[in-house]
Amino acid sequence: MSAINNNCEYISKRLIKITFDGKTYEAYEGDTIASALLRNNIRLVGRSFKYHRPRGIYTCGIEEPNALVQIISEHNEPNTRATIKRVYDGMEITSQNRWPSLRYDFGAINNILSPIFSAGFYYKTFMGPKGFWKNLYEPLIRRSAGLGKPPKNFRSKSTHQYHNTDVVIIGAGLSGLAAAKKFINTKYKVLFIEQDSYLGGVLKNSNKVKTINGLTPQEWISETEELILNSKNITILKNTLVTTYNFTNHLIALEDKFAGKKIDLNKSELTLHKIRTSNTIIANGHIERFISFRNNDLPGVMLASSFEKYIHRYGVVPEKEPVIFTNNSSSLSLLKKLISLGCKPKAYVDSRKKDNIETEIKKILKDKEIPFFSDAEIEGCDGNKKVETITIRQGKSFNKLKSSMLCVSGGYNPDIHLFTQSKGLVKWDKNILSFKPDTPFQKTITLGSTSGNYNFKKLCDEINEKLSIFKTKKVSLDINLNVPNKFSIKELWETKKKNNSNWSKSFIDLHNDVTTKDLKQAITEGFDRIEHLKRYTTNSMGTDQGKISSINSLAIVSKMLKKEISEVGTTTYRPPYAPLSFAAIAGRSTYEFYDPERKTSIHSWHLKNNAVFEDVGQWKRPWYFKASENETMHQAVQRESKMLRENAGILDGSTLGKIEIKGRDALEFMNLMYTNAFSKMKPMTSRYAMMLGEDGMIKDDGIICKISDQHFIATTTSSGAPKVLADMEEYLQTEWPHLQVYLNSITEQFSTFNISGPKTREIMMKVFPDIDFSNDAFPFMTFKNFDYKETKIRIMRASFTGELGYEIYIPPKFGLELWEEIFSCGKEFNLIPYGTETMHLLRAEKGYIVIGQETDGTVTPIDLNYNWMIGKNKKDFIGKRSLSRPDTSREDRKQLVGLSPINKKDIIEEGQHIVELNELPKKISNPIKYLGHVSSGYHSPNLNHSIGLAMIRGGKNLLGQKFFVTATGKTKNIPVEIVNPVFIDPENKRLTS
Amino acid sequence: MILIKCPYCGERDQSEFSNGGEAHVIRPKNPESLSDKDWGEYVFYRNNPKGIFYERWVHSHGCKKWFNAVRNTSTDQILRVYKVNEKRPDLSDFKNTLKSPSGEPLVGSGNFAVKK
Repeated sequence: MSAINNNCEYISKRLIKITFDGKTYEAYEGDTIASALLRNNIRLVGRSFKYHRPRGIYTCGIEEPNALVQIISEHNEPNTRATIKRVYDGMEITSQNRWPSLRYDFGAINNILSPIFSAGFYYKTFMGPKGFWKNLYEPLIRRSAGLGKPPKNFRSKSTHQYHNTDVVIIGAGLSGLAAAKKFINTKYKVLFIEQDSYLGGVLKNSNKVKTINGLTPQEWISETEELILNSKNITILKNTLVTTYNFTNHLIALEDKFAGKKIDLNKSELTLHKIRTSNTIIANGHIERFISFRNNDLPGVMLASSFEKYIHRYGVVPEKEPVIFTNNSSSLSLLKKLISLGCKPKAYVDSRKKDNIETEIKKILKDKEIPFFSDAEIEGCDGNKKVETITIRQGKSFNKLKSSMLCVSGGYNPDIHLFTQSKGLVKWDKNILSFKPDTPFQKTITLGSTSGNYNFKKLCDEINEKLSIFKTKKVSLDINLNVPNKFSIKELWETKKKNNSNWSKSFIDLHNDVTTKDLKQAITEGFDRIEHLKRYTTNSMGTDQGKISSINSLAIVSKMLKKEISEVGTTTYRPPYAPLSFAAIAGRSTYEFYDPERKTSIHSWHLKNNAVFEDVGQWKRPWYFKASENETMHQAVQRESKMLRENAGILDGSTLGKIEIKGRDALEFMNLMYTNAFSKMKPMTSRYAMMLGEDGMIKDDGIICKISDQHFIATTTSSGAPKVLADMEEYLQTEWPHLQVYLNSITEQFSTFNISGPKTREIMMKVFPDIDFSNDAFPFMTFKNFDYKETKIRIMRASFTGELGYEIYIPPKFGLELWEEIFSCGKEFNLIPYGTETMHLLRAEKGYIVIGQETDGTVTPIDLNYNWMIGKNKKDFIGKRSLSRPDTSREDRKQLVGLSPINKKDIIEEGQHIVELNELPKKISNPIKYLGHVSSGYHSPNLNHSIGLAMIRGGKNLLGQKFFVTATGKTKNIPVEIVNPVFIDPENKRLTS
Repeated sequence: MILIKCPYCGERDQSEFSNGGEAHVIRPKNPESLSDKDWGEYVFYRNNPKGIFYERWVHSHGCKKWFNAVRNTSTDQILRVYKVNEKRPDLSDFKNTLKSPSGEPLVGSGNFAVKK
């Protein structure tokens, strides 16, 4: 057994070095991994998915089910198809799914155990005992399943590119090139896409075509390519694979920018093309299918056209004396080529009757004295990790031959994947024994073998006719052939085994190790619908999507069910056509580009002052400030909370959403959007308000400032701002278009500072000496505008901590300056900066809720005891009607209460359940009665014990009662008392002081 | 990824738009006068047919305008777009345009990619 080199114009004669499983091999520039390995007589390249059977190179293209390898030199890229990945100097490759080595793989024991691993074994095994799944089965399966190892951490620089075009031609084979030729120098904008790095398709992969218009195929390709390149309206994309055909003629294609080159990490290695086109021409050809026979997976078995392609496209003859096994007329070209190279096939096995076999084939075989078996089939092959002997059945006699390679052709399938993705309808064609496109759903045209036309002579008419909808010139193709023009095939899907044994298998899906026996078993068990059968057996569910085998399985199943293939139907073809890397899909949206970061004008100050940040929506907000290197979060929050209630603290509240509402009907609009009544509210005052959904549940809250009946400013939660604005817009545009109101997001127009604590007034007086901050001049929930240096500011008296507090609004340009000014004035009053965690603790002490913490989309204002916020006299507002629905007015709804531990040292944890039991049983057999949950839990430094806010069924009527709160990792529960949720200053003395 | 023609901006990618569910569900003028059942119907119940569907879209990453569209939900074909204040097109306008992908039946789902 040995491979020989053949002259080939696509391969440069420059020798390069690659390593496979640690050994160095010589390859030529232009080789794929597969052609390089075949050149070096490497047949065994991987182990199979389930049974760990030795596998070799089966095909020469995208359809490869076996030869999947890991590229160590490219971030450990796994499951790369060796048959399309091109090599470069220094490429490091390893085989997959084997341990300790490719030749001696421990997992091959699965092959012996295979009776257990038959169809549906996942569903039948691993059912018990309890706990075994999590601790034994799953870790074991996860370790042994899959093929390659995941890639190492790397940063992809792949990009996305958008196209809008009139025509896309997919595939630059004979039909694609001829179609493109028609569009040369027309008004149509054309994108011409080829997955290989050369144009030509079948013309460069075989010698089926002798001449075109008197030129050799290579001359014709060069001439056509040059004409296309000179035509301004056609763009050629090479190394680009169309993976997806969506609705509205939207295509996705993946371009490999470094095909055959070492990746430059500073450049984009992949481009994902997103193409919108008016018309799509699919000319991506056909894929040869295999035939199932005993041990049809042994390394050395290869598709005949792939063998042929290695000779023509890569200049390597994998074996001088292979056996050819076919059921159709197309293998003639391989026979001819081998003979022209001085090679002599060991045998030619044709399942067709002698009379149906072309005379040319019979003549060659006779002249060259090649053993010829007509009306015969391969019974199976045998060998140790490779093909050694091949058994041929002819009638009742068996012939054993020695050869290391077997070329198989089971016929050709039009590559209908993209056509069916586009939702086109296919039809069974008895002449070619395959499905071919019938009725397109979109503006889709299929040409050549994709359309089921295997007749080269008819191609020219087909192209001219199907493209007559375009204003283009006619093309003429005068084609001379090396093969018979008429395609002839005999139906053959599986050959008969001599005897049955569990050791020898006849595979229907090489990638997922599905045998024809599995199909039979699945049908016996009742999975007779093709979609069910596919999932039960995992047939055609591998990364190759059964490209060489799915039609075979349909045919075999239809025979077993005694139905027509068209009745059995196909499984659904879904994108992508071939696997595409996640890096390509993500494009540039990775790491810091994944989601933009929003920073306030004070951000630099926060950084300098050791803030630890928290993400709130896209915003970066200080979570807490570290006073020293070793201070923990708990210590910092306790310190900040205590200091604020003793002196004063300041919070950067710039992230708070702010929406300006202006216009003739602003008052009416606000009355409809929010629960509160705004009509009687005086200008220049503010109010805490709530927004509900139509279902009566709280959506957002904030402070509403009324400047006049025609002008309001609403604040929202930091992350809720875009949604609130969008909701307001929606109602204005769709329900109340008669209202004259204009909305404007002004979140980023202001820096906002919340300063609060007992010493706040003194600090404010020092910062703004001209302003009267006395209680009479500046009462709680009022606001005023002032000139400040060269800008204007607005100060509002409001508080989220329960202490005396002010909110200052200033244009961001001046924000940092003022912030620093406040600190220099506040120094003598021990002013501290505080973060969101302290804010949350302080508001919990005061019993203020946080949207998304106390509320979860199932909470009404009544549940929170906020009845005072509901404008009951208003005729309507969003959600009002729902508040009187039977479900929302139930007495036993979950309601807001406070929790205080009876033993003051106990810690109430957020998210824990509230129950009636003081201790949970060791083994829980019956559900435990659940009363509610802890929505907020903090250690209050000001009360010196843990506090909680909770949502409890019928909570309003449970004040003073004793319940229990569960605790992490313990069965002993914490006894708590239900208390008023306002722990600090329930009379609001501090707020209004 | 389908193409949607915003009546204000023209054809744009679907990713620029957000779907707003069924169109022509009008908020009752006097919610208080409705029975719990009728109000519940308005708040919670929407149609979800296979085939012709009148629905709302907003050009959320564009002009932010709401508009209505008639879409065939089994093919994702948008048959008509019209502004909020424009008249609802008649169902009979679209009867003849109905086709389903891969020969699916007009009601129900399934895989029918093969012509018989």
